[in-house]
Amino acid sequence: MAATIERLPSTELRGDVYRRRRNRVQMGITYILLTVAALMFAFPLFWTVSSSLQTWKELRSFEPHLLPAIPQWGNYVKVFSAVPFARWMGNSFLITAITIPGVIITGSLTAYSFARFNYVGKEIWFVLMLGTMMIPTQVTLIPQYVLFFNLKLINTYVPLTIGSWLGGGAFMIFLLRQFIMSIPRDLDEAALMDGASPIRILWGVLLPLMKPALTTVAILQFLGDWNEFFGPFIYLNRVDLFTAAVGLRFFQNIPMETSDPRDHLLMAAAAVMTIPVITLFAAAQRYFIQGVVLSGLKI
Amino acid sequence: MATLANRLRLSSFSEMLNTSRHRRENFYGYLFLMPWLLGFLGLFLGPGLFSLYLSFTKYDVLSPPTWIGLDNYTKMFFDDPLFYTSLGRTFYYAGVGVPIGVIGSMFLAILLNAKLRGLAAYRTLFFMPSLVPIVASVVLWKWLLHADFGIINQWLVDLGWSDPPGWFGDRRWAIPSLIVMGLWQGLGGTRMIIFLAGLQGIPESLYEAASIDGATPLHKLRHVTIPLLTPTIFFNMVLGVIGGLQVFTAAFVATEGGPGFATTFYSLHLYRHAFDYWNMGYAATLAWLFAFVIVSLTIWQLRLSRRWVFYYGS
Repeated sequence: MAATIERLPSTELRGDVYRRRRNRVQMGITYILLTVAALMFAFPLFWTVSSSLQTWKELRSFEPHLLPAIPQWGNYVKVFSAVPFARWMGNSFLITAITIPGVIITGSLTAYSFARFNYVGKEIWFVLMLGTMMIPTQVTLIPQYVLFFNLKLINTYVPLTIGSWLGGGAFMIFLLRQFIMSIPRDLDEAALMDGASPIRILWGVLLPLMKPALTTVAILQFLGDWNEFFGPFIYLNRVDLFTAAVGLRFFQNIPMETSDPRDHLLMAAAAVMTIPVITLFAAAQRYFIQGVVLSGLKI
Repeated sequence: MATLANRLRLSSFSEMLNTSRHRRENFYGYLFLMPWLLGFLGLFLGPGLFSLYLSFTKYDVLSPPTWIGLDNYTKMFFDDPLFYTSLGRTFYYAGVGVPIGVIGSMFLAILLNAKLRGLAAYRTLFFMPSLVPIVASVVLWKWLLHADFGIINQWLVDLGWSDPPGWFGDRRWAIPSLIVMGLWQGLGGTRMIIFLAGLQGIPESLYEAASIDGATPLHKLRHVTIPLLTPTIFFNMVLGVIGGLQVFTAAFVATEGGPGFATTFYSLHLYRHAFDYWNMGYAATLAWLFAFVIVSLTIWQLRLSRRWVFYYGS
């Protein structure tokens, strides 16, 4: 910006001074607005951490404490003894360990089929797949529940993970398909000339190139499962099988009379449950944004 | 130039190639489509049709469904006051929350799109709340908005509001509380990133042209940025409405549909019939109507979009 301004002819210099001042005002306003927004977004996060380190008495006083008098790190230990939170987190991890390979394998296969083969009815299947995104989950929920109930699969992780081994959902398939479409077909053709089978092409040529897309899909799957409440809530009713999300609600809903005061512990549990997600974000930030780029939303 | 015979031979040869190629494409296409196709038929289409059938029955899972014709439908329209109120509350939640959310995300993205230093840090910060799992977010917000000990009410009292709202515990404020929480989580999330992508697609030349014509920043916003973002706004509106109408977890975990029925959204109403009263048949009826409402709204939005969405270069 500055460089272009200096190169302007001197007759326009006056206008420049004016414009430069206006730019500075504009910049100032932008920063002020951004900072106000940032404080509003950040405060609840700060408050979670701060509350989780306070004593229950500090929390329940009419004078709010912005910071704990003495940070109660012990709260984080107590969470794990008050409820089987470690077990619940472990269960959540277990579910993602089942679903992530599922969506990577079957999602890639489906995407490969849509991106690289011409067959009868492909367009119809593709439109139907995209259409599934519009239909509310409640429509299929009840019959699915009946199905899994009759198959005696309540209180197993099958209902929660089977979808990921059957393509993994329209959105994931769509992302992977878009990515495969962006890989030049020449690579496939060359491998085909060398006598590679289609599955060999997917495995040897495309998958290695798809790593960014696969990482994105894996992350989205992790976030989805980690956040998921409804499925685990209706399919799991044994406490030892709960996921972190269902467990946290269970902890929240233990009747007051039968439990020690626990507002501070709930905050600690909420923080603990968020840590894996934030860690993942810190480690792989760009892949969180890649989903948007991959879907080809240039709009 | 080839003789007719040659041509015929050639074409039949290429046809043979084609058919073998066709066969191959069909075979492998369907082979690789199989996992999704099985899931689609077994977990989506089959259950969807079964749910349509269930909507004409009385069914409690344990005994077989009994056909009752249109009884569920007449009950829904004429004998279930909660059907209308829950639908109304759902529209209230989505109708207020989604437009504010979409427009808010757009303005955040516009601010972040300024070519200034340090904006990546702001972007990260804005994105963070969307990472917090909904259940954890509810725990946090119930505490922030606690009627007596919540810091927000303590601030409001300090600011001179002697009788601040009871938020989640107050019939009138429960839905606004959920909207506030939803905005905190949603404003800076994926939606904002989509807007950033949209902003980056606006050609710089348009701004330069506007500057030469002496446009102020507000003019540029009004006549360049926002018109060119209308496709993105539209896209986010459609997705936002589909998602917003299905609101469940936040309300269920925060208030279980209360106080009274103040946050009994449509999906909670449906859930109660399905899993508290085991009225699976009736719940299926509610579900089908819900699908109908959502699909019609989406189609309506698509129609309406022709009047206000502007596609640059077409």
